[in-house]
Amino acid sequence: MSTNSRLKTSKFIDETSRISFKFNNKTYYGFKGDTLASALLANDVHLVGRSFKYHRPRGIMTAGSEEPNAIVQINDGTAVTEPNVRATEVEIYEGLEASSQNCWPSVNFDIGGINNLLSPLLPAGFYYKTFMWPASFWEKYEYFIRKSAGLGKSPTQPDPDIYEHQYIHCDVLVIGAGISGIMAAKTAAKNGLKTLLVDEKPILGGNTIYKDNEDTSINNQTPSKWISDQINELEKLDNLEIKKRTSVAAYHGYNYLLARENLTDHLPIHERKNKIRQRLLKIRAKKVITSTGALERPLVFNNNDRPGILLASALKRYSDLFGVACGKKNVLFTNNDSAYETALSFINKGIKIEAIIDIRENPNSKLVKKIEENQIKIFKGYTVVDTSGYKRINKVSIMQLSKDGQKVVGNKIEIPCDCLGMSGGWTPAVHLFTQSGGKLSFREEDQVFIPKIYTSKQISLGSCNGDFSLDSIIKNIPGQLKQFFEINSTEFDNLDIESNEDLSKRNIWLLPSDKIFGKTKPFVDYQNDATAKDIKLALREGFRSIEHVKRYTTTGMGTDQGKLGNMHALGIIADTAGVKMGELGTTTFRPPYTPLTFGTIVGRNVGEYFDIFRKTPMHDWHEQNKAEFENVGQWKRAWYYPKNNENMHQAVQRESKAARDSAGILDASTLGKIDIQGTDASEFLNRVYTNAWSKLAIGKCRYGLMLNEDGMVYDDGVTTRLDENHYIMTTTTGGAANVLGKLEDYLQTEWPELDVYLTSVTDHYATASVCGPNSKKILQKIIPDLDLSDDNFPHMSFKNAKIDGVKCRIMRISFTGEHSYEINIPASYGKSLWEKCMEAGKEYNITPYGTETMHLLRAEKGFIIVGQDTDATLTPIDLQMDWIVSKKKYDFIGKRSLYRSDTIKEDRKQLVGLLTDDPNEVLEEGAQIVADANKKPIEMLGHVTSSYYSPNLNKSIALGVVRGGKKMLGQKLIIPMENKNINVTVSDPVFLDKENKRLNA
Amino acid sequence: MFVISCPYCGEREQSEFKAGGEAHIERPKQPTELSDDEWAEYLFMRKNIKGIQYERWNHAHGCRKWFNMVRDTSNDEIKAVYKMGEKPPSV
Amino acid sequence: MLNFQTAINDQKNFSEIKLNEISPIRKLILRGKSREFLSAVGKTINILLPTEPNTSSSNGEITIIWLSPDEWIIFSNSIDNQDFNQIEEKLVQNICKTKLGAVIDVTDQFVMINLTGNKIFDLFQKGSPFNFNEFRNKKGATTQTLLAKIDVIIQNKDQNDINVFVRRSFSRHLYSWMSDSASRL
Repeated sequence: MSTNSRLKTSKFIDETSRISFKFNNKTYYGFKGDTLASALLANDVHLVGRSFKYHRPRGIMTAGSEEPNAIVQINDGTAVTEPNVRATEVEIYEGLEASSQNCWPSVNFDIGGINNLLSPLLPAGFYYKTFMWPASFWEKYEYFIRKSAGLGKSPTQPDPDIYEHQYIHCDVLVIGAGISGIMAAKTAAKNGLKTLLVDEKPILGGNTIYKDNEDTSINNQTPSKWISDQINELEKLDNLEIKKRTSVAAYHGYNYLLARENLTDHLPIHERKNKIRQRLLKIRAKKVITSTGALERPLVFNNNDRPGILLASALKRYSDLFGVACGKKNVLFTNNDSAYETALSFINKGIKIEAIIDIRENPNSKLVKKIEENQIKIFKGYTVVDTSGYKRINKVSIMQLSKDGQKVVGNKIEIPCDCLGMSGGWTPAVHLFTQSGGKLSFREEDQVFIPKIYTSKQISLGSCNGDFSLDSIIKNIPGQLKQFFEINSTEFDNLDIESNEDLSKRNIWLLPSDKIFGKTKPFVDYQNDATAKDIKLALREGFRSIEHVKRYTTTGMGTDQGKLGNMHALGIIADTAGVKMGELGTTTFRPPYTPLTFGTIVGRNVGEYFDIFRKTPMHDWHEQNKAEFENVGQWKRAWYYPKNNENMHQAVQRESKAARDSAGILDASTLGKIDIQGTDASEFLNRVYTNAWSKLAIGKCRYGLMLNEDGMVYDDGVTTRLDENHYIMTTTTGGAANVLGKLEDYLQTEWPELDVYLTSVTDHYATASVCGPNSKKILQKIIPDLDLSDDNFPHMSFKNAKIDGVKCRIMRISFTGEHSYEINIPASYGKSLWEKCMEAGKEYNITPYGTETMHLLRAEKGFIIVGQDTDATLTPIDLQMDWIVSKKKYDFIGKRSLYRSDTIKEDRKQLVGLLTDDPNEVLEEGAQIVADANKKPIEMLGHVTSSYYSPNLNKSIALGVVRGGKKMLGQKLIIPMENKNINVTVSDPVFLDKENKRLNA
Repeated sequence: MFVISCPYCGEREQSEFKAGGEAHIERPKQPTELSDDEWAEYLFMRKNIKGIQYERWNHAHGCRKWFNMVRDTSNDEIKAVYKMGEKPPSV
Repeated sequence: MLNFQTAINDQKNFSEIKLNEISPIRKLILRGKSREFLSAVGKTINILLPTEPNTSSSNGEITIIWLSPDEWIIFSNSIDNQDFNQIEEKLVQNICKTKLGAVIDVTDQFVMINLTGNKIFDLFQKGSPFNFNEFRNKKGATTQTLLAKIDVIIQNKDQNDINVFVRRSFSRHLYSWMSDSASRL
């Protein structure tokens, strides 16, 4: 049933390489260079989909990225499937399988087509009006609506393709390689500017590349010959990079643009292996030239959406570039001269034209006359009032327009046809310009919005700037480029241009029909099935703002963002409401210009590169010893080390017990370490910590609590005085970068007079923390010559030492409450040090423990973890840590906030211990704490922050914050859970060894 | 995404920087002398201007230095950058 | 004996790029602001600290990279350089003890990765927002920026010969990312 509509050779199509592909499971053939759309049209396939709401048959309408109808699913059922792809942009390759969307069971017989008959029941806002209530039913409605409103199918398998990002810095970015872009890029590059030229199509030259009718010439050559010579020269320029198949998606401030470069989508699937599929270009350009061209407007008339109705310019592109005649009996319908260019191409190629319908009363340009000389019937002052043909147009009905264009008069004439080309003039593609923040002005004479105020170093050139004729482009661009680049001349200054172009146009946004308006179907937004009726209804219902009309009618809200119909919607609103279009403004053009794949947006940040993993020097050992890891900040920390199929609980119980009974070892390398030097180092610490530092002796360590200026606990850690003016501060693992940032902030901005230097040395040191009653013996084995007696090396002090000749620092500090040493050694020796400790500790059953056991051990001692037991709403007083807040110091960060009216309240949430009545019941962290579970609504007093089963105490212990908790010691509270209430007693937060005897054990 | 001219390192992409809120709010030298309201004024109150705003920025992924910036929040135009301790330029 | 272990312990040869961890390289951070500091450093190590942003200076033995108006990184040009201990001692003596500034050993804080080949900047473009257009032709140019979201110091050592300094804990991740990207250049 398919017939071949391919014309004689087109130089852009490689007829020696035939390609087979499938559309809706049927095999077709095309050639290299074809798009899916051109190949289908060459096979005389027009019907490619069903419309969104009414399921009307729809065909290919355009030849570019503005396509609203020919939206297909590519390679359905495979991992590389992609929905919502424009057939006009897909380049065919061997093995391509495409299928229609939004139809069931098939595009030829679609059950949803009944919606077309029901359309009087489906006006604008139908969904809003109908499915509003009962609210609880929405989920049920949604299922059916989603199913009938087909937007293609998401892939269900992981994406096998690779994507990446690329930053590009250039002097000049030229967007669009039509004639304007080619002239601009060449001028820029030849003036020594690093230039990037991008175009969304695989061929450069815009529509000039196939402009070879005899009526126009540049320097006595056809425009197509002239521009291909220009492109050949362009490709040889050193400082010019050309990226084809590259669509600019977004234009942000400071000339920052995002573009998608398509690298493999045109290749057969087996040739794509290990290649980047798409690349997100992050372009920063000193200057931007937008030469994105213009989009031809459809005409809005009754039944203007049938398969076989295309833009006149698309018909020309298909015949001149792809060598495809879209119809055998063609009718053209226009309000300007553009369609006559198509007619001229058709005449030259022997494609039959039945008639031209021109709504202008007296078109009389040279071009029109030339067409008339070719015996083509032109109906002047006529309009199409209706079309017929269900799956393909077969007839147009035309009538004469009244003088004012508001109605039709006279007799109806019917013209059989199988293809209708329409042209409503041109709309400058100002999308990117407005995204950049540029402001538009409205040009009354031809009813277009054009760029007016630029917000960055950029210009718009050519038809996207409202210069639609080749003549004006050639004449204007050299001057614009000279001004923009501040140069004296361009090679295009004296081009000889011959052109017959005539720009006269008769603009009628909504063309009248002989039928009453309510019975017509004049589509404005094809993709979302919004008609002129819907827009008028919205206005009748009181919508005034165009942004509201847009949302109510969904005009312009499809994947094509209303590239074709938005201007008509505005025009119809303006006409109906009696306002001027220039005053109405436009809806917002949002990025991306054409849809982006998620892959492109994400780039290489997937899998192992999704997030950064920091690893300690001992990481390989943990891995080799089967540790489970926990993410802490960006670090991978050993969480626990399961042995013999232990689960987490069993491993943690074993590790915790071993650490208290004999010896444990923890990788503490992730703690932040800040080297502090300078004559004011002590004063600096006084100001940033709540406690006093001046009197800390050299060689001693001290625990410090750091607040925010609002008095809330920010970070904690031990700081050691290494020398008179030299300290080393440790911070929490997650807080390291922020603490350094905050301290630098104070140093640089509030206290620049202080002589203090802060330098991160977190990564320089590996830290092994050995704890437990046998830790001393183990350390002695490693460093035999160090006096470990309590007199020489007491708790909270440090020693320089050497292990096998390698310098290290040993701090006798403890986060577990056990006798404990932290050995800090240059990272290159970290793993070896760890192994040495393990070897030395073997006889004491030294047990490596992870972060979970560390948390349990410190909870037994009631030590807080900033960020777990605190959440930026707790002061040191709330934490029952009054002892660490110096009363004598005049000032420190956050001090003043500790006696604000709010922070001194007695019923603030305060940290307490919680003991369950049943010692085997372990609370859930985050569980709510209440006093009375019967009174409704239940009053929440606080929540559990830490909870464990302590193998050393043989009972469940927990920390929590409770309103007024300090005064509740011994009081019974309730933790209401889903199925039961758990009874707890408020206790002291220190559960084990209150006297700190174990520290010196 | 701005291009910010660090007063030390020159023009860099915004992703190298961190914003630090309103500039020229000096920490009171004697906080203990202040009433709750006065302290709250320093602690909490910030302007949110449409138009010319003085801001603090930090070249966090570069030289780590803090500096000040004058920005028109209505169009994101950066009017000036200047080092900490320098007088704000009039724009 | 304690064993020395490099951070990455790998090298990669791609057709256009070679990646190689250079270790052990001694490194120090120097901090100071005053004129006296600058001249004391100059006298101690016989080379002036570069005061122009984004530059480095170098003699046969050591290289110094400007990091900030009061911060420099100084590193040995050769691996396992025993003379560097003397340099460190002298600096501590003449800078720290005299209260002119600070000297911090960061030998293991930073891992030095050397890249050679003609597509190094194509690789950087995949993950760094920095504008390398001028940098690539300026021997001795340096920058601190982001690469694959990780803080790095980059030094243009010579044509097609670039050093990257990265904090040790990030080094394997960065190296893996660079290898992945380089494999497709």
